[in-house]
Amino acid sequence: MKFWFMLFVIFSGCSSKDPAKNLSSSHLKLNVSEIKLDNGLTALVVPNSKLPIFSIQIFYKVGGKNEVPGITGASHFLEHMMFKGAKKYGKNTIDFIIEGSGGSTNAYTTNDQTVYYENLPTSELEKILDIEADRMENLLLDVDDFNKERQVVLEERKMRYENSPRGQLYLELMQSLYVGTPYGRSVIGDIPDLKSVSREQIHQYFKKFYAPNNAVIILAGDVSVGQAKKLIQEKFGKIPSSPSVEKAHQELLDKDFEPKIKGHQFISKKGESPNPLFMLAFPTYKAGHIKGYALDVLATIIGSGKSGSLINSYVLIDKPVATSVYAAHQSLEKSGFFFIGGELVKGVKLKEFDNDLLKKISGYCDSEITERNIQKVKNNYLSGLYSGLDTNAGLASFLGERQLLFGDWKFYKEELELYEKVNVEDVKNVCREVLSKPSLFISVWNMHK
Amino acid sequence: MKIIFSLSILLISIQLRANSFLDSVKRENWNGMEVVWLEDNKFPTFTAMFYFEDGAINDPFPGVMQATLDQLTSGTQKESQKEIADFFDFYGAKIRSSVTHEYNVFTVGALTKDLSPVMGKVCELFKEAQYPDKEMKSYVSRSKSQLKNLVTSHASLADRVFRKVSLENTPFESPAEGNLKSFDKLTSTLLKERLGQLNQSKKRLYITGPSDALKMKNIILKQCPWISERGHSSLEIKKPSSQSAIYLVPVPGANQAQIRIGRYMTKSETKDKNDQLAFMSGYLGGGFTSKLVQELRVKRGLTYSAGAYVSIQKDYGRTGLMTFSKNETAAEVISLIRDIFQDIANGKISEKEFKHQQGHQIGGFAFGFEEGQAFLTQLMVYDHQGRKLQELVEFPKTISQLTPQSLSQISLEALSWDKLTIVVVGDKSLEKSLSRIRPVRVLNFEDFL
Repeated sequence: MKFWFMLFVIFSGCSSKDPAKNLSSSHLKLNVSEIKLDNGLTALVVPNSKLPIFSIQIFYKVGGKNEVPGITGASHFLEHMMFKGAKKYGKNTIDFIIEGSGGSTNAYTTNDQTVYYENLPTSELEKILDIEADRMENLLLDVDDFNKERQVVLEERKMRYENSPRGQLYLELMQSLYVGTPYGRSVIGDIPDLKSVSREQIHQYFKKFYAPNNAVIILAGDVSVGQAKKLIQEKFGKIPSSPSVEKAHQELLDKDFEPKIKGHQFISKKGESPNPLFMLAFPTYKAGHIKGYALDVLATIIGSGKSGSLINSYVLIDKPVATSVYAAHQSLEKSGFFFIGGELVKGVKLKEFDNDLLKKISGYCDSEITERNIQKVKNNYLSGLYSGLDTNAGLASFLGERQLLFGDWKFYKEELELYEKVNVEDVKNVCREVLSKPSLFISVWNMHK
Repeated sequence: MKIIFSLSILLISIQLRANSFLDSVKRENWNGMEVVWLEDNKFPTFTAMFYFEDGAINDPFPGVMQATLDQLTSGTQKESQKEIADFFDFYGAKIRSSVTHEYNVFTVGALTKDLSPVMGKVCELFKEAQYPDKEMKSYVSRSKSQLKNLVTSHASLADRVFRKVSLENTPFESPAEGNLKSFDKLTSTLLKERLGQLNQSKKRLYITGPSDALKMKNIILKQCPWISERGHSSLEIKKPSSQSAIYLVPVPGANQAQIRIGRYMTKSETKDKNDQLAFMSGYLGGGFTSKLVQELRVKRGLTYSAGAYVSIQKDYGRTGLMTFSKNETAAEVISLIRDIFQDIANGKISEKEFKHQQGHQIGGFAFGFEEGQAFLTQLMVYDHQGRKLQELVEFPKTISQLTPQSLSQISLEALSWDKLTIVVVGDKSLEKSLSRIRPVRVLNFEDFL
């Protein structure tokens, strides 16, 4: 018997010997069915009957950006509490139901969204939809559990920030780059807020943001569209939409997220790392901006793989200046930034390195942006795209991100075309443009005072 | 009654699927090299995993095999490191290696249309890698710098110390990746010799992708330098002795304590018990509903995470758990773990929890077949351990036949408290509270770098 799949992803056009055509001509066709309920809920279903399993992911459009001083960390705290039980299924049963059937579950919170995901055997479809509907509408927020979980969140914060120089560096970067904006707050939350936030505050936050008109459900795997449609209508159709969520989103204006830094800032923070860790960041554009695609290409050319410009300037040299270095373009819903980061070796003078790095990037704008390097990036995107869609969970995540951020899962087609259209001039232009912007060099080191 | 009936149906269904998956795996012989082939037409990409039965245990000193594979792309007579890196990056090909004490795996993944140049280059590297001196010096310098900075990752440091302390006086005690002293002894000549040995070692090839991926046969047979084969000889490891101390490793600025508890197991201790031990580790620390997570996190809010593992190689095995807590509660966590172990060994296992874990492991079995590469990795591990693949198919049945008594018995054998090594990485003030559990031996973290 051959290992032929019931294809949930169909591809064609890959026989071309010219890799330049491969990104958009990959003709990645996703067999997605859309379901829209009257209460504003959107669901996407991608059938794949290869195995009797499926993935469900629920994206809520709520994250750190929606918090206000005093309740920082509310989205993430709520994420923890969503596993503590709801009215119909009771306290601390959700994990047991999911794992007892062989499934797995977890969740994550970012600046812009909160995502819950489960991988389950096919037989559990109805139950998991019932559980998700139950906790979307009737979360318990039990007081005892709330206070115990507060301790868990505080330990998680220590693990991610206080005890992790890399986490500390990222937090410092966000707080400095986005000072005075919602992106300048910590997603896990400030310690005083975590200690003081009340059950009532979290409940109010929940009522505002956890509603069908602020959620997207993705089902990928051994699920029939007809059955999914029927069950989603049955379980979620009666849940009222949130009257205040739309206004809450409208009130978050892009201009309120713009970094206000001026010139070039050099910030040093004391941390426990014997080797200095650094990040150099430049404000750019929010997700979906056309220049963001050229910035992604720039980041890959200079900061990815062993042939990248930065690694060959600082790491793979006779006397390494850094043990690692990377570049990336971070696209958030309301803003974005281009950054370079890494770990330096002891003895490197940070101000000199900062100056040298800025000069090197300026040089890369001319020397490294070549047809061949751009083609290299596109080839990498293509192989990365396939690898990311290899599982039900990967596919669900891919679709959910786009549906939530751009309001349309099909936006990936436009993205592939935008990447394919990126040319040498586009990348050179964004490279020069990014260098003309204000910037921030931040380091964490145990030698800083 | 209903649960038993559902479990039986699930078992039959899963076993049928698993059998069909196993039937889809073909074994071939390519001029003496065993090839395991799984056709997968989902995407136009292939993955080839080269298993070498020659691990770090055959190194003259720690870190040689790791450096041999890490630096495989550092240069040939014809090409520089940068040219080789550019070649793989251009095709979007991913190469990586994994070094264990008993075996190594070199993995290549790329678009199928690029198979010929990519595999040709892989063979060329195994034949002609030169390990140029200047690249070696740079590698040594970077490796030392990175290792010195390990103190910033308390979890990684705890794992490293735990390996050394728990495997002391066995051939597996030194880290495969090397240490500060061994890095200085690495030379080009040594690495070329080690590559020569690796090329002569026994190997197996695991491939997944569309049928075109089999075109690599000619390339491998004609261009790879793999002719004769030298197998791995079995080792006899002495039984673990009683442990009387807690090893405390103070690190600066620790506001949490990383805890590792476990031991190594001899071949005879693990023989024919793989599935039972896997069940035990899942019961203890596999998921949110596991015993440790429920007791430490859910009921008491003492930690953010807790996990257990069993890792069985050909000649030895390891079992243990990992968690962390704030300094003030580290001793309480260790005492609780001791009580949990003792309760399980004394047969205090609730039927409900036991059945729940059976459902979890049986229901979750199908997920191991979702990704072709992950499935092949499972087969590779079975092959390495010398297990029959039919055991893989029968895993759900084996788990369904376990009883609370068998769990109690295996826990008694594997987790006998006085045989377990305990390592704590945290603040030096922990010595006092930990000494109430066992005498404390304070170790310097620098001795483990």
